[in-house]
Amino acid sequence: MRFRIYRFDPEKQGKPFLQDYEVRLEPSDRKVLDALERLRAQDDSLAYRRSCREGVCGSDAMNINGRNMLACITPLEGLRQPVTLRPLPGFPVIRDLIVDMTQFFKHYHEIRPYLVNDEPPPERERLQSPQEREKLNGLYECILCACCSSFCPSQWWNPEKFIGPAGLLQAERFIVDSRDRATAERLAFLDDVYKLYRCRTIMNCTEVCPKGLSPARAIEHIKMQQLRRSG
Amino acid sequence: MRLLSGQRAFVVQRLSALVLLAFVAGAGVRLALGAPVTLSQWQAWAAQPLAAALLLLGAAALLAHAWVGIRDVVLDYVRPLPLRMFLLGMIVVALALLGAWTALIVLSHAL
Amino acid sequence: MSPDRPVFLNLARIRFPVGAVASIGHRVSGMLLVLALPFAVWALQRSLEENAVFETGAGWMRLPAALLAWAAAHHLFAGIRHLLTDVGIGSSLPAARASAYAALIAGGAVGLALLLL
Repeated sequence: MRFRIYRFDPEKQGKPFLQDYEVRLEPSDRKVLDALERLRAQDDSLAYRRSCREGVCGSDAMNINGRNMLACITPLEGLRQPVTLRPLPGFPVIRDLIVDMTQFFKHYHEIRPYLVNDEPPPERERLQSPQEREKLNGLYECILCACCSSFCPSQWWNPEKFIGPAGLLQAERFIVDSRDRATAERLAFLDDVYKLYRCRTIMNCTEVCPKGLSPARAIEHIKMQQLRRSG
Repeated sequence: MRLLSGQRAFVVQRLSALVLLAFVAGAGVRLALGAPVTLSQWQAWAAQPLAAALLLLGAAALLAHAWVGIRDVVLDYVRPLPLRMFLLGMIVVALALLGAWTALIVLSHAL
Repeated sequence: MSPDRPVFLNLARIRFPVGAVASIGHRVSGMLLVLALPFAVWALQRSLEENAVFETGAGWMRLPAALLAWAAAHHLFAGIRHLLTDVGIGSSLPAARASAYAALIAGGAVGLALLLL
């Protein structure tokens, strides 16, 4: 199978370039990550992140034939050759397919991704009804792979100021959590022309989420809740 | 809602869109179902106070909608703050002038 | 400390979903309509003048008129799509894709109609 991979070595002078590879695959090689492992056996200078190899850690998010996907759960079958692998768009490239996720995590921290509740803790858990717990479905499953945020044009144009789909999805996860007491502050914090309202509902995020989540819908809910609060 | 909040612009954009939608629907229905409108019919209609008020409302909605839209584009692509402020200022002036011109046209015809 | 890190942002190498195409069309059509605003106000003024005449467009006006018609139609349809998504209608992925196609096709049809008729 033929591959074309984005290469960049910070220690060498020169611009990034695309390198062509040809690799013989075994029948057991079914996903892009399998092919990458074989390619690395051919060329051990090839650098990429990977860990769980089953689509739950989010390490191997990359741009495959123009779309952001997780390499470990993307089937090789059906991919147009040469399969072109590029790093996530819009993020600074550290080396080859490895990108700098600092800004991405900074936005995640900005929205305070933890429960804020100063009430004295009960003896055991803070209780939540099944219906209340339902609300977290479609939000808590995010693996912070950055496929969405790096596919969002609004994030490309304003990487430092717009929080991005992943951060906003997580913000919504805490906004709807019945155990959290900072809802008003969370919503007020996001009421900003850049932080939330750069979103144009392009919906690129929902298109590429490998876990099938919808940041676009989460953002929609945040906007609706802000409206309801201001009457 | 704070003055420069994102939510305010969002609401203005959506509300003005609904107003414009109503106008387009109304005009569309009238033009599609009624007999073709002649120029003198149009001028006679536009001279009525209610019609003038409607036209001004439509123009206001259009300018507000355009303003939020253009502002979004500028906020997205223009990064240096002074340039951004300058462009937004120029655009406000341009839209205000268009609004004044439209008001002049509509009111001088109706009055 | 941090070397100059490149960024991959070659838009021609990114495969955009249909929603993104509809969205950029929404922005471009919006800008076109804004540029046409002064002309629209001028046309309004002309239409209310005493010696106004209903002129059919000269030949060269066909292309700009069709372009503006596309812009107005696409902006309207894509706008309605956004208003519906705001209230939760059609915000699932299949529905959003379908509505994006619908907006693109409907807008294109209007533009084409004005070009050919």
